[in-house]
Amino acid sequence: MMLARRQLVPLVRRVAPSISSRSIASDAVSPAQSVAATTPTDVVPVAVTELLTAEVISGAPSELRHRAVRVYQPTRNTMQSGGAKGERWRIDFDILQGGGRWENPLMGYASSADYMQGARVTFKSQEDAINFAKQQGWDYYVQQPTVKRIPPKNYSDNYLYRPNKLRICKTK
Amino acid sequence: MLRIVASASRPSSVSLLSVAHRRNLSSTSARQADITLTVDGKEVTVPQGSALIQACEAAGSPIPRFCYHDRLAIAGNCRMCLVEVARSPKPVASCAAPAMPGAVVFTNTPLVHEAREGVMEFLLSNHPLDCPICDQGGECDLQDQSIRYGSDRTRFHEIAGKRAVSNKDLGPIVKTSMNRCIQCTRCVRFANEVAGVEDLGTTGRGNDLQIGMYVEKMMDSELSGNVIDLCPVGALTSKPYAMQARPWELKTTESVDVLDALGSNIRVDSRGVQVMRVQPRTNDNVNEEWISDKTRYAYDGLRFQRLTTPLIKGPDNRFVTASWPDALAAIAAGLNQTGAKGNEIKAIAGHLADTETLVVLKDLINRLGSDNLASDLEGKYGNAPPVHGIDVRSNYSFNSTIAGVESADAILLVGTNPRHEAAVLNSRIRKSWLHTDLVVGMVGTRADTTYGFEHLGEDAKALEKFLSGKVKGEFAERWAQAKRPLIMVGSSMAEHADGEAVFGMLARYVAATGERIVREDWNGFNVLQRVASRPALYETGFVPSRAATSTTPKFIFLLNADEVDPASIPADAFVVYQGHHGDRGAALADVCLPGCAYTEKSSTWVNTEGRSQLGRAAVPPPGAAREDWKIVRALSEVLGVDLPYEDLVGVRDRMWAISPSLVRWDGLEGTSLEVAKAGLGSLMSNFYQTDVVSRASVTMAQCTRAFVTREKTSLEGLGKEPLQAHA
Ligand code: SF4
Ligand code: FES
Repeated sequence: MMLARRQLVPLVRRVAPSISSRSIASDAVSPAQSVAATTPTDVVPVAVTELLTAEVISGAPSELRHRAVRVYQPTRNTMQSGGAKGERWRIDFDILQGGGRWENPLMGYASSADYMQGARVTFKSQEDAINFAKQQGWDYYVQQPTVKRIPPKNYSDNYLYRPNKLRICKTK
Repeated sequence: MLRIVASASRPSSVSLLSVAHRRNLSSTSARQADITLTVDGKEVTVPQGSALIQACEAAGSPIPRFCYHDRLAIAGNCRMCLVEVARSPKPVASCAAPAMPGAVVFTNTPLVHEAREGVMEFLLSNHPLDCPICDQGGECDLQDQSIRYGSDRTRFHEIAGKRAVSNKDLGPIVKTSMNRCIQCTRCVRFANEVAGVEDLGTTGRGNDLQIGMYVEKMMDSELSGNVIDLCPVGALTSKPYAMQARPWELKTTESVDVLDALGSNIRVDSRGVQVMRVQPRTNDNVNEEWISDKTRYAYDGLRFQRLTTPLIKGPDNRFVTASWPDALAAIAAGLNQTGAKGNEIKAIAGHLADTETLVVLKDLINRLGSDNLASDLEGKYGNAPPVHGIDVRSNYSFNSTIAGVESADAILLVGTNPRHEAAVLNSRIRKSWLHTDLVVGMVGTRADTTYGFEHLGEDAKALEKFLSGKVKGEFAERWAQAKRPLIMVGSSMAEHADGEAVFGMLARYVAATGERIVREDWNGFNVLQRVASRPALYETGFVPSRAATSTTPKFIFLLNADEVDPASIPADAFVVYQGHHGDRGAALADVCLPGCAYTEKSSTWVNTEGRSQLGRAAVPPPGAAREDWKIVRALSEVLGVDLPYEDLVGVRDRMWAISPSLVRWDGLEGTSLEVAKAGLGSLMSNFYQTDVVSRASVTMAQCTRAFVTREKTSLEGLGKEPLQAHA
């Protein structure tokens, strides 16, 4: 029962900007009911409930069920120009509140009781990542990638004539 | 007009060169045509006027570079981007060469390799070999590219040794090590074009070229931290972060900034339980690639002054630590004892309150029978409904959108200094001012904005005079002809004695001009919020009713409210403070509940455009602090109020019910066309210290001393000692 419910309810709904609509305002119903009552298209398709998720037989700790993973495409490090690995999608876990991390009092090392804190899985596409999360039985949510808008650039723009008052004196 | 221009098969190449606005940076005229060329045997189509490096990138052949940067003008002075073009006698610098139709380009031939190796050898001949003690190590373009193009032995046998350049003092943010500079001039171009600091520049020629401020001067800009990112080597590094961590030790978490209302996208880099630094995340709809210095460096404030356990004020007016059940019971007892009923129960939301908590707190207070939902606006303005009303979202939002600012052709600033209230947005205005013939007019206290403007007067009268068309001058003339005029009203206006008049005047003006300012494809009426929580506050309806305004509260719940006026809190009221810093709000409280700072919770934030974005927890909160909405939910249990949700999904369902756009993260809902209503000084006098986090930050205190009060201090030694954490 628990399993079926979780298959239906990712922690938060995947909401694309172009989403159509969701009909009810769930004021006093529990989340499980509210989702069952509607069939939003962007929630995990119903067919997936058939899936035998890995957690059933993998022996993974049951606490994992209460955690969510984020599916996202990491943005480029602004410290560097290279765009390698920029197209990959990544899954990692939200951190644990409270006991997830502490500083070792003796040595000052970082300690953690969270066995998933270092887990970071990389995929070629968003679909692959989502699929993997589904197969593992993880709750997931998707962070949409940002749009990049770089206009065509031209060296000669440096020397364009502009009428009117001069607005910049280049110091280079 | 989002055109897909690259036909190459790589998925990302689609988005690289698309053109968003009709009017953009380069003003090369014929942009309509696309051209096709061949890069490494692959055909690629790019818009005419693109640089060759853009075409190569679109074709999936990345080009090594030092000086070229997507968001800066092209300089063409590092020569690392050399490629081979068929029938050209020499290798061509791909950033400075335009992409030509039919060109055949090779990026990976022996000639190209040899050319780049030569460039690299020259660069390294004068570059110190101090990577082990350089902060850029691990994320250095020069380091990475020398792995591929560098030689393993030197031919450098100068007797005088390598070039030595003295370091410059650029202020409390940027640390310089000018020996490492490779003269790419990215920092100079950034200062010139984006930050508007036109006195960072170059002196000397050839081997003696130096970067500096010409005279002993600090780099006075809210965006100066970005040159640290831009510098491809370790010449400009971060002073507060100096020698603190290596990039490979850090755990990166993509999140959202809350220290101003722009909602800049950030990446929080943490090690163990500490936030080590904050980096920008590129998002062309919000912050492009820049963040302000406050966003970047206020994080050390997260280590100091934290509330780590619940506190109850004892009989001798001292706080004693308590357990969570005791603290919650004390609140229930306090509420009983004061006998507060209905509107006498008041909640005040502060600058850094997140949307989830606002919703839960509003539900709690409403179910206790009260509508007294105030905010900590300046003076008494938070106790009454805001003058612009909250029923129509366009009345308090930045309707043109942040990216849309670039398409405005005349901007009227009313009672705002965007340079302080939204530093990154200000850089967009400057960009547009430099590259188009945008004109800017200002009503309000004169400020240094980094672009030229015509000052139309200080007060509401001047505004009235301008709106009624009685002002002559270049700006008035251009404003009258503007196709996309933009009015930007500072949020301080809602907290000003003349606020009602100003909004009224503007609303009448907007209505009277018919289609000119507000129409289907353009909404030029904007309110620039300066506080992260306010748009969410208005969106969720967290404002007092008229009746509540006149009630004297007996029980006050301060949610992150630190700017609240102590005089407005009755002496006999029972005060609860929930927040993360022991600042002004906590000092007023009878019970303090420790919550999470924005780096410690995954919550929703709404920016000034109404764009809701999901932050993400990077580190756990210190001590017994808990997630904010859970605290309020637990309190509701103790108070015997039944709230219909138990988990985050439930809370977000509730947010959906209130306003669906709150949980459509990263999406932006258009605002309706309806605008019901619409000395004027900005209320922000010190950009560097505006909230609890930045007030607790050592770096921000240094910046205040350097740039606001301009005290003569020695900045030596800053950042040498690692700061102690709270935990
Ligand atoms: S300091 Fe850095 S960014 Fe500036 S010119 Fe030198 S290498 Fe380039
Ligand atoms: S990147 Fe082309 S010359 Fe520097």
